[in-house]
Amino acid sequence: MTIGGAVAVVYSHNLMHACLYLLASLFGVAGLYAVIGADFLAATQLVVYAGGVVILMLFAIMLTGGTGNRINRYGLEKIASMGNKKTYFFAGFAAIITSLILLKIIASVLRAQPTNKVLAANDVTVNKLGVLLATDHILAFEISSVLLLGALIGAAVISRPRKERHD
Amino acid sequence: MIARKNIIAMLLGIELILNASALNFAAYTKFVNNNLDGHILSLFIIVIAAAEASVGLGIVIRFFQLRESIHIDDAATLQN
Amino acid sequence: MNSTVVTYLSQSKEFTNTVAALSKALGFDATSLVAFVIFFIGALIVVGALATIGGLGTYAERKISADLQMRQGPNRVGPYGILQFLADGVKMILKEDIIPAQADRFTFILAPFLCMIGVFATLAVVPFSSGLMLSDINVGVFYLVGMASLVGVGVFLGGYSSNSKWSMLGGMRGASQIISYEIPATITIVSIVLIAGGLSFKTLINGQGGLPHEWYLLHNPFAFIGFFVYFIAALAETNRAPFDLPEAESELVSGYHTEYSGMRFGLFALAEYIEVFVVCGVAVALFLGGYKVPFDLGSGHIFTEKLGLDSMLAQNIGQVLELGAFFTKTLLLYYVVIWVRWTLPRLRVDQLMTLCWKYLTPIALFNLLGMAVWMYAFDGKSIYSIIFNSAVSAAGHH
Repeated sequence: MTIGGAVAVVYSHNLMHACLYLLASLFGVAGLYAVIGADFLAATQLVVYAGGVVILMLFAIMLTGGTGNRINRYGLEKIASMGNKKTYFFAGFAAIITSLILLKIIASVLRAQPTNKVLAANDVTVNKLGVLLATDHILAFEISSVLLLGALIGAAVISRPRKERHD
Repeated sequence: MIARKNIIAMLLGIELILNASALNFAAYTKFVNNNLDGHILSLFIIVIAAAEASVGLGIVIRFFQLRESIHIDDAATLQN
Repeated sequence: MNSTVVTYLSQSKEFTNTVAALSKALGFDATSLVAFVIFFIGALIVVGALATIGGLGTYAERKISADLQMRQGPNRVGPYGILQFLADGVKMILKEDIIPAQADRFTFILAPFLCMIGVFATLAVVPFSSGLMLSDINVGVFYLVGMASLVGVGVFLGGYSSNSKWSMLGGMRGASQIISYEIPATITIVSIVLIAGGLSFKTLINGQGGLPHEWYLLHNPFAFIGFFVYFIAALAETNRAPFDLPEAESELVSGYHTEYSGMRFGLFALAEYIEVFVVCGVAVALFLGGYKVPFDLGSGHIFTEKLGLDSMLAQNIGQVLELGAFFTKTLLLYYVVIWVRWTLPRLRVDQLMTLCWKYLTPIALFNLLGMAVWMYAFDGKSIYSIIFNSAVSAAGHH
């Protein structure tokens, strides 16, 4: 579902549909997080991405009217998808070869190590994450909070209504 | 590589890329490490992606108000 | 393992016998198969029960509003009009399914399903009772908040895909309302999580007791304020009065679901009523003690000790009591929600946004800070334990 959604994002002509496929792909990624035992991460992904970012994208698409098929001055279609069939064929081929090579490498690495390094099943990761955030990674935490503050102010400043300039 | 011309579509592609890298980091803790470092990095990536999406969309909306289009080729010149 | 219906049921001898018999019959270990089947049946039961509650919610709303307006309300279909929601359902199913020609077909069809999926996905973690919750994941509350935002996407898409001005306005207003009011709601939830120490519903409810003075509502002046903040924010999030501008029946001709007819509109409306129920359930779980029965009757221990019943039977009785407690409290809150709808006038859009950003969010943040300070200063004790302990120690000194 994740990969299907991602491919559909690239391939779809309609921008609105592309956003919906992004939503599907984000759900898929959240599910994958849950499978590897990162439950807090899955829930965060749902809240932040599927709730916030997708709605933001939809609003932006709405406000900029990007769903019409307009022809720009070069005569090309504006909301074209990515190339033609040849591009997809090569991309798919390259993806398969890359994944096969990676699988060969990873398999040899995995066989060399004992497989008991997985996380204990369903530990309370929220507690551990919180402790880690506040002790080991406190610098990154503070920097990210400043970053969010900067993003908030920046977005607010950029979207302020401009005063009319009288030339 | 997303070869589209629409700015918002490019932002969608960026979200996909960031998600993929965050998934990679999260998988790191399951298979290699035992102390949740990858999870934390994934969390920060989600935070950064959200911040970047919001500012990026603000820029796009302002760009649209100036140029009336969201085609990336119209942003090729630095002048007004 | 997270405790779920399956772990609760697996305490009984009949369950283990059944699993063993099935394993012998099928040749492989039938534990996960039985778990899957039980989850499936449980999910169906929960969905069915809540769909019925959603339908009864429409009926209850009409009756209560009639009571508030000194008239009768539906009383023709069935005794006291209680089958009215079935009649409405049948009417909606039989209506012609109109899709506007200019509308975006894919999103038009998808939007009500997104709302429904969002709401039904939250049902998986609503704490009905300690053993009969569908599953108690470690991040229960957070997951619920995430699913509620999915409803926002559904609202927006419904408005956009109808390709009409009124729907568009209603959709945009609805989505912006939902995402704005997520913030005070989530901050208040976090401040309650501070007291409990975990995000899972079991942890939140186990920190409270059965009697009102053990609820989080009365734990703390900050929790008290938090309850009202959460209630208002959750009302606004479900697009419910007095915040129902997106579906303002007198202004925007029903807003984002103007162009929907028949069953699709029924899906939107049903999603809204069930979401109100879920939100009331979450408020009950966070603030009003969840499914805890007074005097700890819910765990069944008293039945085993006093009456000498079999432990599983005692637990079952305890579960039923807990279910009753949960539903009583939630339905009380539901009544308050309906009451508020028909009592207060509707807020304008700018008043709505002002309320959220200028009032509720600062209050929620202040709550969070205050809660953190309280937990640090008083070591997590509630007001009552502080008063009682100081009274007891003062009495003990004399």
